[in-house]
Amino acid sequence: MATATPSPVPVKLSLFRLFLVYLKVGNLTFGGGDPTMAALQTEMVASRGWISDRAYALVYTLARITPGTNLLAFCAGTAWELLGWPGAIAAVLAMTVPAALLVLWVTAHYATLQAHPFAMAALGGVLAAAVGIMIAAAWQLARPSFSRRSWIQAGIVLAVAVLLSFPGTRIYLTPLRVLGLAALVGLLWEIPA
Amino acid sequence: MKVWLLYLILMKAMLTCFSGPTSLPVVHHDLVEKYHVLSDKQLTTAVAAGRLTPGPFGLYLVSVGYFIDGTPGAIAGFLALITPAFLIIPMLFYLGHRVNKPRIRNAVRVLTLASAGLLLTTTIPLARVAIQGPLTIGIALGTFVLLVFLKRSTIWAIVGGAAAGMLFYLIA
Repeated sequence: MATATPSPVPVKLSLFRLFLVYLKVGNLTFGGGDPTMAALQTEMVASRGWISDRAYALVYTLARITPGTNLLAFCAGTAWELLGWPGAIAAVLAMTVPAALLVLWVTAHYATLQAHPFAMAALGGVLAAAVGIMIAAAWQLARPSFSRRSWIQAGIVLAVAVLLSFPGTRIYLTPLRVLGLAALVGLLWEIPA
Repeated sequence: MKVWLLYLILMKAMLTCFSGPTSLPVVHHDLVEKYHVLSDKQLTTAVAAGRLTPGPFGLYLVSVGYFIDGTPGAIAGFLALITPAFLIIPMLFYLGHRVNKPRIRNAVRVLTLASAGLLLTTTIPLARVAIQGPLTIGIALGTFVLLVFLKRSTIWAIVGGAAAGMLFYLIA
């Protein structure tokens, strides 16, 4: 076991200081999980030496297989390494509360926007952009698995998932069943890296 | 819908995915198709609202919760977003470096590929609502190019989509 208890922190680190680092990186780094994790790597490993390379790599790997949002798991894991449970809670709240309040404000004013044709025209464009965002997210999720050695196997998995989840067909499975089947396939059938 | 049930449904969606967008198929299946408490348009709007901030993709759950049950629903969505993150702590404690086993890495890869497939099929009903003509097709394609090939932030896609919509309204 690599990390049975949080690592000793090499410098005096208060919960407030930790909170500020996650608040800054989490709320000023656009681009999603990887750029934010890279920014945290710069802050915590390269600049301050709060976490060792080995502990960082372990948290990074585990965050990839933790259910839910990888980025939040990564923040909870790195902060737990530094200051235990209070650190983990502070980091996750610092990363999410300001953005969640903004999302709440936008959603709460959605009904008001609907009364203005000009705002609705803007919203129509935003909804179309959201469709592009979802297709791009699917592409970015699948792309790393398509290498020269693995594209046939990866293509089969992707195509079967699309076919099984296509509504209204005889072979339709609910998303949970498709994921359960995928987990089973993943344990039994190796896809070359 | 009771807030605790909403929390459990959204938690289920988060616990069965390995990134924010991949929770969408379960959210769509449960809240749009099964319980009929959310429309395709509201779900698409929630995704857009969630991408206005630099935070994680899963923030759209706050918006989903608000559409269904106001502020208590938004809090349920927020808690469903953050709760699974703490699972990493027992995993750090008990698993450590054993997670690097090839079989586990392979299973996660296959799950991620299947999640991408599910995400594509979930996008179809949402696209039926959002794509209304050549302008919206152009915005969706432009967004894809902006994010995948030009590696720009989603905020530019959202702002660009809004600007294109307003410009078209002024011209038409």
